Amino acid sequence: MEGARTPDDATGQGVPATSGGAVLRLDGVHKRFGALHVLRGIDLEVQRGGVVCVIGPSGSGKSTLLRCINLLEPPDQGRILLEGREITGKTTADDRNYVRRRVGIVFQQFNLFPHKSALENVSLAQARVLGRKRDEAGAKAQALLTRVGLADKMDEYPERLSGGQQQRVAIARALAMDPHVMLFDEVTSALDPELIKEVLDVMRELAAEGMTMVVVTHEMGFARDVGDEVVFMDGGVVVERGPPAQVLDNPREERTKGFLGLVLER
Amino acid sequence: MDFITNYYFDFGVMGDEFSRVLDGFWLTVKLSIISGVLSLTWGLGLAVLRQLPGRALAPVRWLTIAYIDVFRGVPLLLVLLLLSGFLSAAQFEGVIPRELGLPTWFGETSPFWWGVMGLTLTYGAYMAEVYRAGIEAVPRGQMEAARSLGMSHGQSMRFVIVPQAVRKVIPPLLNDFIALMKDTSLVGILGALEVVQVGFDVQTEQINGSALTLGALMFLVITIPLARLVDWLIAREQRKTERGGGPSAGTPGDVEPKPAGPPATGMAGA
Repeated sequence: MEGARTPDDATGQGVPATSGGAVLRLDGVHKRFGALHVLRGIDLEVQRGGVVCVIGPSGSGKSTLLRCINLLEPPDQGRILLEGREITGKTTADDRNYVRRRVGIVFQQFNLFPHKSALENVSLAQARVLGRKRDEAGAKAQALLTRVGLADKMDEYPERLSGGQQQRVAIARALAMDPHVMLFDEVTSALDPELIKEVLDVMRELAAEGMTMVVVTHEMGFARDVGDEVVFMDGGVVVERGPPAQVLDNPREERTKGFLGLVLER
Repeated sequence: MDFITNYYFDFGVMGDEFSRVLDGFWLTVKLSIISGVLSLTWGLGLAVLRQLPGRALAPVRWLTIAYIDVFRGVPLLLVLLLLSGFLSAAQFEGVIPRELGLPTWFGETSPFWWGVMGLTLTYGAYMAEVYRAGIEAVPRGQMEAARSLGMSHGQSMRFVIVPQAVRKVIPPLLNDFIALMKDTSLVGILGALEVVQVGFDVQTEQINGSALTLGALMFLVITIPLARLVDWLIAREQRKTERGGGPSAGTPGDVEPKPAGPPATGMAGA
């Protein structure tokens, strides 16, 4: 991850770089959509360089949780602290942009910009948001696309790429902003089975290089190998959390056992 | 029977009046192109105003919607009459400067410019609705992806949403342009010597409609190819979507992945 997180860490932005290590902290986060109470008091702590894997049945609020963290869906209640700074409460557009520059997200449906080439997808926000020069943004985009194994696809448009390739472009696009935290929202769920590994491999390397990650996933193997902590969510609450081996192999809660039984049976 | 052919297709009349009719048609073309370009721009502006986010900007959205509703809902002729009447009266009373009330920019007449204004006001409203359909057809994930990268709403619209939206709505915009071109004939009422007015003058003078027929033929020379172009663009888009590609958001699994070289070789050698 050389090159990543340089500018902001250098200046510090008035934030203690490792205040007890918690890059991200959620205290009692609630989110409602009308009558639907999706998140019912979520607490979460992610250490710098830590990987938290969130598992659970669909509809349990996992995706909403990620969308709350980068304020795509502002929480209704509770606090979120990013590197010690509270980002909830009354936020301005500047606050939201502060958060989004530090928190990258990769979506299940990739959401690449279809009218832009792979290279342009990765350099657009660098130029427009971080004010990088065209050459600089292009060079960074090339380096990142090479890292995710797409050196030969720089000029291709998304529709010419396979799902796995598109998702790797999406990862490179998020990394280009030098995020301090990366969120992954079921990034392999829309992929054909043979394409899943290439995306997970990229994520493994990212974790190995010390990226702080929150990964919503159904890939139990990935959660076991890469996760520092596994969080099982159901019905908008955290039912169980702990080291992967404990949660996945010796779950204490009945709901966890039931879910894992269904998933691992496949 | 002879009377009918002579009334519509008197080649003598057509020949004698050809250059006069052609001059009129040239004015029609200028009127169409200037109003067309201005409407495309004004319409896009309205569509973007209509999509502004947040509670604070709600009044802007309401005003925009009210504007669009009004100008789509009243006849263009009525707009032209009210506008030209107001401008000439207002400059006469000294309420607005003379060059605004009786504009003669670039050597064109005041009726010409009143026509441009009226057409732009009305067709801007039509085109705003077309753009809106295009903007709403861009998948939600596109805006989310742009915002999640830290782009502002304005940047997301400008670099991500609008470019995709415009591509989707080029055919309907061209259709509106064809309609606009035909509606320039209403500007004749204000005294602009566009092709229909010229043809009508000839018809009155000579009790013969051939100059109007000639004008109709000139319209068709432009509008039929444009209509074919629209069909062709739509068919091309159709083929794309049927193939599954389509310039819509990344849809998984619907593109034949080309045998992708070696799969992700990890992130070595950055």
